[in-house]
Amino acid sequence: MAAAKSFADKLSFEQIKIELLNTAYGNDRTLIAKLDPRTLFLWYTFFGIAPWFIYSKMILAGMLVFVIGTTIMTKVSRLIIFILILGLLGESGYLLIASFFFGGNLGIIVPLLTLTMKLSVISLASITAFCSMSPERLGEGLLRIGVPGQVSFSISYGYRMLPTLFEEYNHIFMSYRLRGKSPEKHGLFYFRTVIYFIKLAVKSFYPLLLSMAKRARTTVEALETKGGQYAFKNPAVKKLKLAKLRIGKNDYFFLLISVLYLMSIFISSYYVQF
Amino acid sequence: MNELIHVENVTFQYPGAEHPVLKKMNLSVEKGEFLAVIGSNGSGKSTLCKLFNGLIPHFYTGDFEGSVTVNGLNILNSSVADLSCHVGYVFQDFENQLVQARVLEDASFAPLNFGMEDYLQRGRRALELVGLAHLADEFVWQLSGGQKHLLALAGCLAMNPDIIVIDEPTAQLDPYHAKEIYEVLKKLNKQYGKTIISIEHHTEFIAEYCDTVLLLNKGSVIWKRPMRQALSEVDLLTELNIYPPQAAQAASRLGADHVPITLNEAVAFFKEMIPRSTPSVTKPEPVQAQEEPVIRFDQVGFSYKSMNKKQAQVLKNINLSLFKGEQVAIVGNNGAGKSTLLRLITGVKKPESGTLTVRSQSVASCTPEKMADHVAYIYQNPEQMFIDDSVKKDVAFFPKARKIKDYENKIDEILEQFDLVDLQDKDSRLMSGGQQRRASLAIGAAMNPSVILLDEPTASLDMATRKHLTQFILKLKEQIDLVMIATHDMQLVSEWATRVIVLHHGQIIFDGGKEELFSNPALMDKAGLVPPQIVTLSLALNVDPVDYSVDSFINRFKEVPEEWPLQKASQIN
Repeated sequence: MAAAKSFADKLSFEQIKIELLNTAYGNDRTLIAKLDPRTLFLWYTFFGIAPWFIYSKMILAGMLVFVIGTTIMTKVSRLIIFILILGLLGESGYLLIASFFFGGNLGIIVPLLTLTMKLSVISLASITAFCSMSPERLGEGLLRIGVPGQVSFSISYGYRMLPTLFEEYNHIFMSYRLRGKSPEKHGLFYFRTVIYFIKLAVKSFYPLLLSMAKRARTTVEALETKGGQYAFKNPAVKKLKLAKLRIGKNDYFFLLISVLYLMSIFISSYYVQF
Repeated sequence: MNELIHVENVTFQYPGAEHPVLKKMNLSVEKGEFLAVIGSNGSGKSTLCKLFNGLIPHFYTGDFEGSVTVNGLNILNSSVADLSCHVGYVFQDFENQLVQARVLEDASFAPLNFGMEDYLQRGRRALELVGLAHLADEFVWQLSGGQKHLLALAGCLAMNPDIIVIDEPTAQLDPYHAKEIYEVLKKLNKQYGKTIISIEHHTEFIAEYCDTVLLLNKGSVIWKRPMRQALSEVDLLTELNIYPPQAAQAASRLGADHVPITLNEAVAFFKEMIPRSTPSVTKPEPVQAQEEPVIRFDQVGFSYKSMNKKQAQVLKNINLSLFKGEQVAIVGNNGAGKSTLLRLITGVKKPESGTLTVRSQSVASCTPEKMADHVAYIYQNPEQMFIDDSVKKDVAFFPKARKIKDYENKIDEILEQFDLVDLQDKDSRLMSGGQQRRASLAIGAAMNPSVILLDEPTASLDMATRKHLTQFILKLKEQIDLVMIATHDMQLVSEWATRVIVLHHGQIIFDGGKEELFSNPALMDKAGLVPPQIVTLSLALNVDPVDYSVDSFINRFKEVPEEWPLQKASQIN
């Protein structure tokens, strides 16, 4: 319990906020982050979708090794990895236990492993692609492939407001604590205390929504004065925004390496079976 | 004629409102003017200013009559975007005006939207003008309040507008940063010939920076006059809840015709007439260090991890004992650690080093819920305290959660005490700023605490509301052992506090009486504090003891000296 408590202490609102923002903006200096968003989109369309249709464990394992490599290269925050692993283990673990109840045996482990591998490849590919792109670059990339300007604006605005949202939520949550009453006894396995906190966490959203709605009014007025509407219709603005995007040597190199690697595992899987 | 803005016979009514906000308004603003717009709440100041960039009538489509011309453009035929090339607008809640993640991106956002190829240069130049060039690549949320305000201004300047409208810069900023903004505005006005229109309550800023003053009342123009003439109208302004500089108030109450406005004028004015024989004034007895302190900080330190993963030290080596009956003001610039100090006492944050005890109980081992039995914390922004859907429910939240017997009667009493009976079923978020403050104090009072902590209770209030609120703060003293206020409001400090603690970069650099503090200009300067005009005046006139309020200053001129006016402080501004 002491370990859990110290973990909970470390996992403060402030900490989560910092992790999230670092995930979004913090690693823009890695090799992958410098690639053109379009390159990453293309790369992701394969690694994000193909695993669903691949059943060779050899190929999946090869892809997994590759995306583990790229994930390491993106220097993503440990919190994200931790959540991912928790999710994957939870999912497979639950399926395993469920299958035992419905007459399954240990043989179920092998197909479950295939599923877990598929999910891992897709998740890690998503992390590689989206955690290394800053919200701005993601927005620019989407704009380039023809998604309306409103979408890319919403993404960057959403991230701009993220820290504010967190702080506001934290304030409201603390308001509940500063006037509320926590259970006298923790109960079995801290049951009562946990319920108390879950209740507060949910209740805090209602005041948050109202206060955010109030803030948005000024933002909408300000956008009007800054020519926000005007920009979405003006092709010259789009051109200016995208002037920085270039597909360069690195992009071709990255795609080439990926293709060569994929080819090699597809070919070797033809000869090696297990 | 260099007329830049022309408003003729304008009447405007918001959709769904019962009365027009602006009534047959006429106004003309010349190029290069530095205009202050004053008037009490609801007089139509912001509405008037939103005409200039066309937000009214294009964005708020109410009933509009009359005509407005801005830089030769009729606002009815021009879009908000077109008008915004001529008029920059800094909103009162300027933080919500920043829509991009990084400083330079935000500054160059408008020119980019208008498709200007040199948008980045424009953004950079605007940042240079306001002195933020060194932060161009920083994230917006890493900036301090003052810097965010400057960035909002830079966002407007990037379009190089002729007119800049700024809505109550002193409401959200501490005096030090407000001065910084005004210095930038002054430069823009004098060097670059920009026309500045500022909605402002603080007449001391008006006296220092503005050329002309527009007085509004209930949607009509009372007059527009040169600054000096305007601020001399002490009686009219006071009646409309706008407070002229303290020197002018004092002179006017002594029956002067030509009142002094600035400090230098006041010194010259009062030098000859100040009575040399000082009346005997009884100072309040300093509270003796009796018994156990209510709150004790012993070598307390606090830091947090910032975005770039460095530890940022907020408080260090805080040693402090606070006793029953004290009225403690904590002052210092934004970021000096005032709020953190208060929050440590609530148990929301735990000290990183050292020990903090409240009534001999260590805060580190208590949950905030437990601390709430002794301590009430009133947020700077009352909205963050509203967690229920009516004033009454919010006030009753604490006693209800604790199942206190007959709490309903007590709540009714408190609602009455804080003048909230008529508002009790309203949603607190929909009330005016002053009403929200009162509600937040009532919430605190309902907790029946022995310590109450107020974070900037008078910030962003107009003068009338502020005066009203000061009375409630004085009432608190009767029921509560220890009142602590973190504030920038030096008038409040000078009229109310018995002990002042100055924080600077997380350390206590002064702890003592206000007399000592105000007579130490070097220290005040270091901490970025500006004493009220009446205090500076008495210091400049060498009167002893120093006067902390206009009332006490005036008493010098009366034959029979009155009591030390602390108990009357609520009536003074």
